[in-house]
Amino acid sequence: MADTTPKSNGAGEPIITVRNMGKSFDDFVALRDVTLDVNRSEVLCLIGPSGSGKSTLLRCLNFLEAYDAGEVRLDGELIGWQEGVSPRKARSSGTLRKQRQHIGMVFQQFNLWPHMTALENVAEALIQVKGMGKAAACEKAQAALAKVHLSDKAQSYPANLSGGQQQRVAIARAIAMEPRVMLFDEPTSALDPELVGEVLAVMKEMAAEGMTMVVVTHEMGFAAHVADRVAFLDAGRLVTCAPPADIFAREPDDARVRSFLQTYRERNVV
Amino acid sequence: MNFSFDVIWHNLPYLLAAARWTLLISVAGMAISIVWGVFLCAARISKNRLLANVAALYISFFRGVPLLVQLLMAYYMLPYVGLDLPAIAAAILAVGLCSAAYTAEILRGALQAIPAGQTEAAHALGIPGFSLWKRILVPQAIRIGLPSLVNELILLVKVSSLASVVGIGELTRISQNITGQTYRPLEIYIAAAAIYFLINLVISGLGRLAEKRLQAG
Repeated sequence: MADTTPKSNGAGEPIITVRNMGKSFDDFVALRDVTLDVNRSEVLCLIGPSGSGKSTLLRCLNFLEAYDAGEVRLDGELIGWQEGVSPRKARSSGTLRKQRQHIGMVFQQFNLWPHMTALENVAEALIQVKGMGKAAACEKAQAALAKVHLSDKAQSYPANLSGGQQQRVAIARAIAMEPRVMLFDEPTSALDPELVGEVLAVMKEMAAEGMTMVVVTHEMGFAAHVADRVAFLDAGRLVTCAPPADIFAREPDDARVRSFLQTYRERNVV
Repeated sequence: MNFSFDVIWHNLPYLLAAARWTLLISVAGMAISIVWGVFLCAARISKNRLLANVAALYISFFRGVPLLVQLLMAYYMLPYVGLDLPAIAAAILAVGLCSAAYTAEILRGALQAIPAGQTEAAHALGIPGFSLWKRILVPQAIRIGLPSLVNELILLVKVSSLASVVGIGELTRISQNITGQTYRPLEIYIAAAAIYFLINLVISGLGRLAEKRLQAG
């Protein structure tokens, strides 16, 4: 993709900075005091038991959930809230939309629009958000579908695609916007086991091309082999964030990480 | 007394003339039902509590009171508040305002049937609210709600017969009048039934056509 920074250039410096971020739902504290950097061209996997807050953390990064403490910045720009305004005031919907354009997101349930073909799903935001003409948008959408190896399914409706194909269309829909970061919320959890591989393969290719990716996943194999770093969350706290070798290879220092990974070890996943 | 096609034949011009009133009430009622129904639905799901409550109250009133009573209220009560409407206007208004309550609920149900994730995906891409409604929510709501909407429109044609109680010479009323003069209820009501049936056949045909077109694209 055109404006994706290649791995050799600018890699390693933070693109997303999360500082002391917290999020509560009424009385329930979903996240507390999370501080985390996502570096350019890095693949960061978020793992942890269900209910640990990893999906909430991901959704705070593009303000689909409004975090209520601390800050999230993309390339230095505060996401969602107006800069320096207290008490907090959300940015205008127009500004929020501009910020979100740079953050692609892929959902567990794909969330394709069923009344549109694969091509139309991908082209829609190019037309409505980027203001591209229909022909140019379709050409670009076609190229995005080629990246996820679905050129031949451009005219298919979601209902006629397998789960794996639908998720790849959803990935194409996000990357067509040329985001600076891609967020994945359990992208393979809704898939039949035999369809998981094709989605992970596409994600690996994106990682190899230098896309910055934050991935909430239960695929420990993917986390172990593709991630640059793995963050482990438990009960709304960031327990540790380290290279996968530290987390998976030897006995991890933290007891919570150890017991979490134990269930996967028993099934020979890692 | 034998069944006589002649009776139908002789009275057909009067029945067809009366059917024009039936059509007028139906078509004007449908227009009010759909336009007002869209507004009601928008109000009902709005985040403004007051607006949502007013719409909910409106809907439960118009669904909860017999249309015949509403019609008589529109005809006899509106003059008291200074709205002296001709009978035909009162009938159209009553039928349309009542049907709008059902249309609003059909649309609301259809919107709720669209998974929230689709809206979330649009937000994540930065798609503006107007485009979200125009391109993603409304087209699907219409498709999901279409069979029920067609049902509602057919119902509306049939309840237009209630306008006979406020003295409008629509199909049912004229059929009664002709029957009173000719003493041939069987022929006249069969003819009237056939006319209602044909009107609704056209509506359901149009509905099927619309469903097909929506499915295609």
